[in-house]
Amino acid sequence: MAKQRQRSKQHAPATDKREAKVRARREASRDARRAPLAARTAPAEQPRFWFGFEVTWAKLLLARVVLFALLAIDAVLSIRHAPRYGAGGFNVAHLPGLDALGPTRASYAIAQLVSAYLFVLVAFGVGTRYALPVVTAIYAWLYFGSQLDSYQHHYLVVLLLLLACFVPWQRPADATPATPVRSWAVRLMLVQLGIMYLWAAISKLDVAWLDGRTLHEQITGSLRHAIDATIGITWTARLVVVTELVLAVIVWVRPAWIVAAPLGIAFHAGILKTGLEIGLFAWLMLGLYVLVVPDRIWVWIAETPPLRVLRAVLGRVAAADSWIALGLGALGTALALATRLHHAVAVAVGLAVFTALIVVTAKRRGERVGPVGIAHVVAIAVWLLVDRASTVAFDYYNFWGGSQRRLGKVETAEVAYRELAERFPDDARGHYRLGELLVRRNDLEGLGELHEAQRLEPLQPRAYMAEAEYLARTGKQAEAIAKAQEATYADPSSQAARDLVDRLTGAGKPATPAAADDDPDDAP
Amino acid sequence: MLRLLIRMWNHPAVRGLVHTWRGRFILAFLAVQLVLPVRYYVAHRDPHDERFAWRMFSPMRMAQCQPTVLLDGKPLELGAEFHEAWITIARRGRFSVIEAMGKALCERHPGAEVRMSIDCRYNDREPQTYGGYDMCNVPLL
Repeated sequence: MAKQRQRSKQHAPATDKREAKVRARREASRDARRAPLAARTAPAEQPRFWFGFEVTWAKLLLARVVLFALLAIDAVLSIRHAPRYGAGGFNVAHLPGLDALGPTRASYAIAQLVSAYLFVLVAFGVGTRYALPVVTAIYAWLYFGSQLDSYQHHYLVVLLLLLACFVPWQRPADATPATPVRSWAVRLMLVQLGIMYLWAAISKLDVAWLDGRTLHEQITGSLRHAIDATIGITWTARLVVVTELVLAVIVWVRPAWIVAAPLGIAFHAGILKTGLEIGLFAWLMLGLYVLVVPDRIWVWIAETPPLRVLRAVLGRVAAADSWIALGLGALGTALALATRLHHAVAVAVGLAVFTALIVVTAKRRGERVGPVGIAHVVAIAVWLLVDRASTVAFDYYNFWGGSQRRLGKVETAEVAYRELAERFPDDARGHYRLGELLVRRNDLEGLGELHEAQRLEPLQPRAYMAEAEYLARTGKQAEAIAKAQEATYADPSSQAARDLVDRLTGAGKPATPAAADDDPDDAP
Repeated sequence: MLRLLIRMWNHPAVRGLVHTWRGRFILAFLAVQLVLPVRYYVAHRDPHDERFAWRMFSPMRMAQCQPTVLLDGKPLELGAEFHEAWITIARRGRFSVIEAMGKALCERHPGAEVRMSIDCRYNDREPQTYGGYDMCNVPLL
């Protein structure tokens, strides 16, 4: 071989020799230029604290499922607050200059539906590289776009989602539960928790907290009784500060997880029992402790026989044909028809098209498509289940109608109450509100709605009173008095009903007409 | 302080971070999270505004403020102008929201005098009143 090369070199023409020399010189000078540059830019030793941080695949997978499933549920539940966005044409954003870009009722509701859907996709590990940045951007817009959401834990979620965009959520090739996954972003998430605990503790280094006054006003529920019967509220307040300071130091330190996990879980489980109105915050914090529980516990659970079987079944489902995935997509879209959430069907159709594109693309690349179809069905099922298991859809229409009514936007309020009465025909509140609104402008359709409300809630005087007011306004005094008396029969303890009878019969002092605003059941 | 910062900057753990975009991201993230809450303690105009400071369930959170609005000297019902959720935030005394309400009222009632004030009660300090000016002329509480 070497001889052959030598022979070919000897027979090479002179021009080739010259070219070879030039090439050699160029390469030598390039190497000379490169050497100092390479020495200058050689990566400094990267801190192992960040870049050597590893968690097991079992822990990462569980954290993905738990955290994003919780966020999906929270997103659907948040839809009840949509009517406050853009109401009255007023908004103040968290950041200056963003007031006009804040969400409106419709955009907020749609964004939360899309967010819930994308969170489920991420929980299933579908399109995490694209879905996660998109849902992070939506979440950040909803949060920073309006001070109506000033929950600190939503700010925490924005930060954690930003960091989650850098976590390798996808299953590594041939991963077992014990396979280590390296992620600086997970370490930073834990450090962020530590920072949060630190500042939370600092904010409580105040006499009004340390003497128990503040906690005394905030805490109720079953835990309050337990505290009063044991260590008392003052020592509990001090214990909260100590716990937060300890967690600030140990929550991100792996060797201390054996202490941090039970302490933090007990702390947030305790908060759950306090009766504080903090939505899913305590649940979210408990979900984050999946990352703090020592890895070996999750690996041990993942290796138990039932979970081995579950993994095998899921693996088979994940390998499903694209036609099955598309069929599941259609099924998911059909599920949206059963939800009572505003815009749900339109959003589901749009997302089904998006999902179909993912399936086609994944199929072309030879990737698994089963999880896409399943994630689509589950995502829509989450909408449906949260809707049916909570009052979110009812609250949405009720609050929408209520806020518009109080702001004097009667036509929009009517639209909301019509939707409410249509989607919840067995609930008297929608019929009453719609009927009351209609009879105020002497629309006879309102009487039918009031009669329906009287049928559905015979012990509530308000629908009788609204009808009596209408009859009195239209000159039917005797019928009005009879109807007002029916109101007193419905609820003999109602002072408003008795005042109305007195006013209509001329007995006693004149009373002001019963104002619908006295009923707070359509205020958020 | 400056010496401490320089020493921190020269620490291998920090120097190692500066060389990659990931490291710079981590440094920026930590700097924001450590410094942003400091703003509340050293340079806040509104003691009720605890956003971004991780002051969960703090004594200040228990402040109760009563906003009062006079439109050309007559009391104005805020509920007829703003959603209840904004009024709830105003009752927590957040200046930025109350001032924005004042601005909106000035725009909705051109030429009118819009006097706004809030009377706040606290757990850990004496009651205090803020504002009381015509928000169309003095837009800050």
